[in-house]
Amino acid sequence: MSVSVELLRDNVEPEDVALFSTFTISATAWLLFSTAVGVLLSFKFPYPDWATNPALSFGRLRAIHTNDAFYGWASVALSGAALYVASRTSGIPVAGKRFAWGGLALFNIAAILGTITLDMGINNGDQEYREWVWWVTAVFLLAVIFTFTALLTTVAKRVEREIYISNWYTLGAFVFTILLGITAYIPVYQRGLGQVAVQAFYMHNAVGMWFTFLALGVTYYALPKLLNRPIYSYALGVLGFWTNLFFYPVIGAHHYEFTPLPWWFQTLAIVFSVGMLVPVWAGTGNFFLTMRWQWETVRRSYALPFIVVGVAYYFLGSTQGTVEALRSLQTIWHLTNYTVGHSHATMYGFITFIAWGAIYALLPRATGKRPPVLATGLHFWLATVGVTAYVVFLSVGGTEQGLAWAAGDPFIASVEAAAPYWAGRAVAGLFMFLAHVIFAYNVFMMTVGPSRESDRYERRPAPVQST
Amino acid sequence: MNNVWVLVIAAGAIYGCFCILMGVAPGMILSHTPPVAGLKPLTAAEARGRDVYVAEGCSYCHTQNVRPLVQDKVFGRPSVGGDYAYDTPQLLGTERTGPDLSNIGARQPSDVWQYIHLYDPRALVHESIMPRYTWLFQVRPSASAGEITVPLPPGYAPANGVVIATQQAQDLVAYLKSLKQLPLGTVK
Ligand code: HEC
Ligand code: HEM
Repeated sequence: MSVSVELLRDNVEPEDVALFSTFTISATAWLLFSTAVGVLLSFKFPYPDWATNPALSFGRLRAIHTNDAFYGWASVALSGAALYVASRTSGIPVAGKRFAWGGLALFNIAAILGTITLDMGINNGDQEYREWVWWVTAVFLLAVIFTFTALLTTVAKRVEREIYISNWYTLGAFVFTILLGITAYIPVYQRGLGQVAVQAFYMHNAVGMWFTFLALGVTYYALPKLLNRPIYSYALGVLGFWTNLFFYPVIGAHHYEFTPLPWWFQTLAIVFSVGMLVPVWAGTGNFFLTMRWQWETVRRSYALPFIVVGVAYYFLGSTQGTVEALRSLQTIWHLTNYTVGHSHATMYGFITFIAWGAIYALLPRATGKRPPVLATGLHFWLATVGVTAYVVFLSVGGTEQGLAWAAGDPFIASVEAAAPYWAGRAVAGLFMFLAHVIFAYNVFMMTVGPSRESDRYERRPAPVQST
Repeated sequence: MNNVWVLVIAAGAIYGCFCILMGVAPGMILSHTPPVAGLKPLTAAEARGRDVYVAEGCSYCHTQNVRPLVQDKVFGRPSVGGDYAYDTPQLLGTERTGPDLSNIGARQPSDVWQYIHLYDPRALVHESIMPRYTWLFQVRPSASAGEITVPLPPGYAPANGVVIATQQAQDLVAYLKSLKQLPLGTVK
C-alpha cells in the first residue's frame, strides 16, 4: 500500500488527542439527537396527528432541532477542530487546556438545559436561534469565552512567526460571537418593532459571524493539508476575512423584507447581500483554485469529497441567498419553504459538510485510527444525496406555495401544493439521519474503537507549517 | 499579521461598531415607535394567551405581518410599525406554513370555531397539517356549571365524555380574538 500524505500521523501529545476526540464525540451525540428531532418534525407534515403531546409538539421541537444542531453539534465540532488547527499551525500543544475542557463541559450543560427548558415551553419569545432563555445562553457564552481563552493563548504562545490565516477566522468567530451574544440579550432596546430590528441583526449574524468564520477557518487548514500544497492565495484569504466582516453584519434585515422596518434599512440589507458575493467568491474561488488539477487526489481521499461538497454548497447556498434577497423574487419566495431549503443548503450542505471534512481530515492524524473506507463512502453518498434531495424538494415545494399565494387561491391550496414535497423531504431526512448514524460509527472507529493494525498511521515528526 | 492582540482587538472593535450601528441603534430608535391610534395594551387574559402562543411556538408556522403585496390583501391591510407597539416579544415570524394571523380576530371571531380548531384542526379543515393542541383541553365524563364545552363534529369527539377548554385554551382564544387590525384613518 502506498502511503499518501493523508496517512501521515501528526505528532500530538495524548491530552490533545483526547481533547479533539472528546469534542468530536460530544458534537456527534448532539448531531444524532438534533437530527432525530429533525426527522420527527419532518414526519409531522405528512402525519400531523402523530405524537400529539406537548413534549413532542412541533412548536417546541422545532426550536430544539435548530438550537441543538447549531449549538450542540456545529459549534462544538468546529470548535474542537479550531483548537486542533490552532495547535498545529502554532507549532505547540493546545495551551490553556483546562479552559478547553471547561468550555466543552459548558457547551454540553447549555445544550442540555436548553433542550429541557424549550421542551417545557420556556423560551426567549420564539426569537429564532436565540430561543434559549438568557441564563442558558449565559452558560453557552461562558463556553465560548472559555474555548476562546484556550484558542487565544495557543495562538499567542505560538513558535511560528505569522498567525496562519485559519486562526484569523477562528479567533474572529469567537470574538464576534461573544459580542453578538451580549448584544442580543440586553432587553432595553428590544420592544416591538425595535426587537424586529435586533432579531434581523442577530439571526443572520449568528450563522454568518460564527459558523461561516469557523468553517472557513478550518477549511483554510484542512484543504491545503490534504492536498499537500499551499493555499492558492493567502491574500484572497485575507480579503475574504475583512469583506466578510464588512458585509455580513448589515444583511440581516433581508429576513424582514416587506415589514414595517424602514424601507431604506431593508434596501441597505439587500445591497449588502449583493456585496456578500465578494467574500463568497473570494473564498470559494480560493478553495477551488487550491484544488485545481488534483481531482484524482480528491477522488482517492475520504475527507476531501466532504470539503468539495461543502465548498460547492457554500458557493451555491450563498449565491442563492443573494438572489433570494432581491425584492422581486422575495414577493414569491419569502415566507415559503424555499427559505427552509436555503437554510439546509447552507447550514447542512456547507457548515455540516465542512465539519465532517475537517474531522475526517484531522482526527485520524491525531488518533492514528482511520475510519473504515466503505462506511465513509456510505456516509458521504447518503448525506450528499439526502441534502440535495431535501433542498430540491423544498425549493420546488416553496415555489409552488409562493405561486399559489400569488394566484390568489385559498390558503389551503398552498398547503396541498407543498404536501408531496414535504413527504419527499421526510424521506430525504431519513437518508441524512442514516448518514449520521454511520458517521457516529466512524467517529467511534477513529477514537475509542479498536485500532486496526493495517491502518496504523506512520509516526512522523510534525510537518512544519509553511505560511 | 503577527500580533494576535492587534488582530483580535481590531476585528472586535470593528464588529462592536456594527453591533451598535446595526443592532442597538435601530433597536433603540424603533422601540419608540408610537402605537397606532386606538391601540390598547393586552388585557391580563390576552397576555397570558400570548404566552401560550409563544410557549407552543405558533409563530414558526404563522406570521403576524401583512406585506404591502397583492397576495397579502386577504390577510388585512399592510402592517405598520405602530401595530407592534405593545408586541414584545415580537411575533412577526419568517415562515407562513399557516395563514397570517395579524387580523384573525376579525376574520374568525367565533370562540367555538377557535376551540374546535385548536382541539383538532382537521375537524374543520380536512387538509390542514396544523398540530392538535389537545393538552389545552380536558376530557371528562361531564362538564360542571360554568365550564366551556367544545362541540366537536361527530367522528372527531372522544368516544365518551366531553371536551372542556382549560384556562390556557380560553386565554389563547382571547388572545387570538384580540388580533384585530385597527383602521389607519388619519394617523399613519
Ligand atoms: C406546523 C405548522 C402549524 C403550527 C405549529 C400551528 N399552526 Fe395554525 N395553521 C396551520 C395551517 C397549515 C393552517 C391552515 C389550515 C387550517 O385552517 O387548519 C393553520 C390555521 C390556523 C388558524 C386559522 C387561520 C385562518 O385564517 O383561518 C388559526 C387561528 C391558527 N392556525 C392558530 C394557531 C395557533 C394558536 C397555534 C399555536 C398554538 C398554531 N396555529 C400552530 C399550521 C400551523
Ligand atoms: C436529518 C437531517 C435534518 C432534517 C430531517 C431536518 C428537518 C428540519 C425540519 C422539518 C425543519 C422545520 C421546517 C419548518 O419549520 O418548516 C428544520 C428547520 C431547520 N433546520 Fe433542519 N433538519 C436536518 C438537519 C439539520 C442540521 C444538521 C442543521 C444545522 C446544522 C439544520 C438546521 C435547520 C435550521 C436553521 C432550520 C430553520 C429553517 C428556517 O427557519 O429557515 N437542520 N429542519
